[in-house]
Amino acid sequence: MTSPDIHALGGAYALDAVDDLERAAFDRHLAECEACTIEVAEYRETATRLAEGSWSVPPRRMREEVLARAAATAQLPPSGHRRGLASPVARWRRLAAAASVVGVLGIGAAATTYAVQEQRLDDQRTTVALAQERADRIQAVLAAPDAALHGGELAGGGRVTVVVSDTEDAGVVVLADAPAPGPDRAYQLWLVPDDSVAPISAGVLPAGQVQATQLIEGVRGRAAFAVSLEPAGGSPVPSTTPLVGISL
Amino acid sequence: MTDPDLGPRRPEAAPAVVRPERVEIDDLLRAVARGDDSAFARLYDLLAPRVFGLARRVLRDPAQAEEMAQEVLVEVWRTASRFDSQRGSGLSWVLTIAHRRTVDRVRSEQASADRMQKVAAASVHVPYDEVADQVGTRLERQQVRHCLDGLTELQRQAITLAYYGGHTYREVATLLDAALPTVKTRMRDGLIRLRDCLSVEVTS
Repeated sequence: MTSPDIHALGGAYALDAVDDLERAAFDRHLAECEACTIEVAEYRETATRLAEGSWSVPPRRMREEVLARAAATAQLPPSGHRRGLASPVARWRRLAAAASVVGVLGIGAAATTYAVQEQRLDDQRTTVALAQERADRIQAVLAAPDAALHGGELAGGGRVTVVVSDTEDAGVVVLADAPAPGPDRAYQLWLVPDDSVAPISAGVLPAGQVQATQLIEGVRGRAAFAVSLEPAGGSPVPSTTPLVGISL
Repeated sequence: MTDPDLGPRRPEAAPAVVRPERVEIDDLLRAVARGDDSAFARLYDLLAPRVFGLARRVLRDPAQAEEMAQEVLVEVWRTASRFDSQRGSGLSWVLTIAHRRTVDRVRSEQASADRMQKVAAASVHVPYDEVADQVGTRLERQQVRHCLDGLTELQRQAITLAYYGGHTYREVATLLDAALPTVKTRMRDGLIRLRDCLSVEVTS
């Protein structure tokens, strides 16, 4: 579940054969595993050798263009030792202070990738730009310095992981292993402003869908996140008891 | 944990052959980090065919590959101060950036039909000059090919579909009609076998 499972992902990670969530989960794993860092560096070094077979001379004009573009591009200042590489990792490490969390996101990521990919494919059919925007947004939330990770179990089975960032004013919700809601029912996501105000819908999954990676907007200042089972298409306010409530 | 490949590194593994070009790339990157543009020009000559070649192999489209290679090389200039030789060679650092970006491009933009079209288009495109090969590169290729031949069929396919094809391990599992955990494991133990065959080491 935890270490060995995510550990097995090292080869795929080094080959860039993982999706964004798995990459983020594995980055956090690396922050806690010095031996893995060396191991993965070796895999990367090995993968690099595969590139040698693809040596190909670029068009001559490219040289002038690249040198000119570089001359017009400001360089990053030297950072503290390894900062560029380590700081996102260090942030994740803080997030992962609760030991179980690595496993939670790891499992969530693995279980939901199909949904993500299906979603991606659909998006591409309609508009590529939209999919890219969404992916960028998810990436931004996961990489935000104040990203905070929460998780919980749904009553009746399933697991939800929420990463929220106040600076991005958005969150990423990963729902996994939930039982099928029935054809005319759907899981709906809620943000709860505070105890005295009604929850605000943060999105409805397609009817019958049991796993998803969902972007939610407007998380700043919200007290809690909840999931409930609603009629297909969602409800304006929750019509059933929340399956899970998570304080943000 | 019964997999013998998970055990400690074999002590008799030969030390990595330190090739002068790789060392030069590391030195140049450090000079580029200080803003040395003549070092960058030299670095360009060493890296451009590799970065462009990799992008071209994965993207299958020379025009897109050129765009990608330009982007990556300017990124190398911009972020050179982030290179840390304790964590691996400069060449690996650059090609890791190149590979990840190229794969991201493949995944973000392409419905597969679109890609197939490009593959078809690329096959009739007159290729750029590939004659200016180098003896060292040819030897390297031979060694890599030899080591790839030493893998099992599944290991080899899993690794090449991921690295050259830009596929996720899930896609690879579908393509090879294999179980997900199997594909993950084959990627990993395949890389371990390649690593040992190529005597790759990271000093850290």
